[in-house]
Amino acid sequence: MRLDVNVLGTFYRMAREGAGLAAGRLTQMTGVETRVGVTKLNFMRGQEIRRDLADGSALVGVRVELTGAIDGHSMVVFDRDDAGRIVEGLLSEAGADEAADADAFDRMSQSAVLEVGQVMNSGFVDGWADVLESVIDVSTPTFVEGESAEPFLDDLENAPTDDDLALLFQSRIETVDAEIEFDHYLFPERDSMAALLDRLRTSDGIAYDKLDGFDRMAERGAEEMAETATKLTGIETNIEIRRLNFVSLEAIPQQVPDEKLVGVAFEFDGVPSGYLLFLFDEASAHEIVDAMVPMDVDDDGFDEMGRSAIMELGNIMASGFLDGWANVLDTTIDHSTPEFIHDIGPAAVDPVVVGLGANQEYAFVFDTLVVADGHAFDCEVYAIPDSSDLERALNDLEVGRIEETPTTAEFQDLDQS
Amino acid sequence: MKTYGTEPGAPTPVQIGISELAVSDGDDTLKSFGLGSCIAIALYDPDSGIGGLAHAMLPDGDAVSNSDRKPGKYADTAIRALLRRMVERGASYTAVEAKLAGGSDMFEFDSFGDGVGQRNAAAARAELEKLGVPVVGEDVGGRHGRTVEFTPGTGKLVVKTADEDEHGVTVL
Repeated sequence: MRLDVNVLGTFYRMAREGAGLAAGRLTQMTGVETRVGVTKLNFMRGQEIRRDLADGSALVGVRVELTGAIDGHSMVVFDRDDAGRIVEGLLSEAGADEAADADAFDRMSQSAVLEVGQVMNSGFVDGWADVLESVIDVSTPTFVEGESAEPFLDDLENAPTDDDLALLFQSRIETVDAEIEFDHYLFPERDSMAALLDRLRTSDGIAYDKLDGFDRMAERGAEEMAETATKLTGIETNIEIRRLNFVSLEAIPQQVPDEKLVGVAFEFDGVPSGYLLFLFDEASAHEIVDAMVPMDVDDDGFDEMGRSAIMELGNIMASGFLDGWANVLDTTIDHSTPEFIHDIGPAAVDPVVVGLGANQEYAFVFDTLVVADGHAFDCEVYAIPDSSDLERALNDLEVGRIEETPTTAEFQDLDQS
Repeated sequence: MKTYGTEPGAPTPVQIGISELAVSDGDDTLKSFGLGSCIAIALYDPDSGIGGLAHAMLPDGDAVSNSDRKPGKYADTAIRALLRRMVERGASYTAVEAKLAGGSDMFEFDSFGDGVGQRNAAAARAELEKLGVPVVGEDVGGRHGRTVEFTPGTGKLVVKTADEDEHGVTVL
């Protein structure tokens, strides 16, 4: 099974087209204004998908089985309370106000959710069928409910196992006023996926198994980075989320919070080349400056000393991150001097998107969240390599090597024991 | 291509993401947030109150083959697409005026050459000049981000920055 950027681009268009139709139909059905939020293709291990579904809140989902141009499952998942709010409108129209009891998800609400979910699933599927110019058949929907991943995944024959790297279509539809969000998942079956990839591929591309290299790169990079950050600041940091997304360049700034952030940006050069951004919320940036600079600093803004502390941290995290990649890829990656930014989040990412935009439409984004227990240390890391460089780097990668590459963390464990 | 304001269920204010453009009229507000090196191009006909906003990321669409698929991505093709749609909607070409915002250069990376933001602003001005559309206001360049809100009916373009003390809110 091989894939290339063209295949992923088509998949991305499918995801977006589907989300657009699903949002439109939801609006028609409920009268609630909706818009499509971030759409991305995620490469995620089964265990991370499970963690996503088991984030502690009660979820309800509507799942259908697909056959035809894609075999697999399509599932719309919403927060249980949000689902309640969405169907409230439908039920009161039907003259069944008493059914909108939040505690008892009774038969009436369930069937209303099922109906909404089904309308959205078919919106997605029709969008994909349009892009693929092929027929996809949809089974009758199943209602699923739970606070963990099991009810959503366990009875699926082809659900990704913990270590399987699954390609996931993820789209978010938001209602304009009510701030209700939905996530959508597509779990394609491997054989059907392989056939589809062959059909859509326009170049030799890379072997799907090499994507494992992506994940290892991301893992090593993140580990090294968190460790260097801890060494420098004395704040114990952890990697909270680590994700590999394939998105259109335009969608990248959309993911970044529309608030004032403190960031450090780098360009890096080698195979691959690209850009690396660390973005802290203001509270975290202040706490980091406090940890690194012993004297009182300007509380409102970031003075020279504060800036240089943040840049120093960024610099050392960048070295850690890129060393992690270089180790896996057995190469050297150099990075520029740090550029400090204190501005609206999306505006910090936009120059990078513009920089890559002349040569590519889509990008792989290595998306990592670093946090610290008991401290404000929320750092979002965006590593965005040039896609042709990345393809080259992965093609050169021997899959066997990935497993052998030790992490510094393991070395350290050995030293300590 | 999306034409907001005509579909049922279209949200207000309408968000114009990167590479998107929209035409509207009257009091509808068109908004683009977090512009860095991208350029916001606002065109309007003061007589009919018809106008549009584009959020372009690159200067030169004529140099690439796929610009017809995404005209909003490039400053030159975005301007022509906006004008065409405005005229289709009833705007008078000769009355149209332009306002520009964005085009910052926040990072001095080698790969950015002489400034991606500057190039975007220059391309927008050049295309407008070629088409005979006067630029009646602009807030471009610098090293900071901007969020813009445009009301076609009044032609008012509000430019907000993260640091209000330093750059403030500019109304063009």
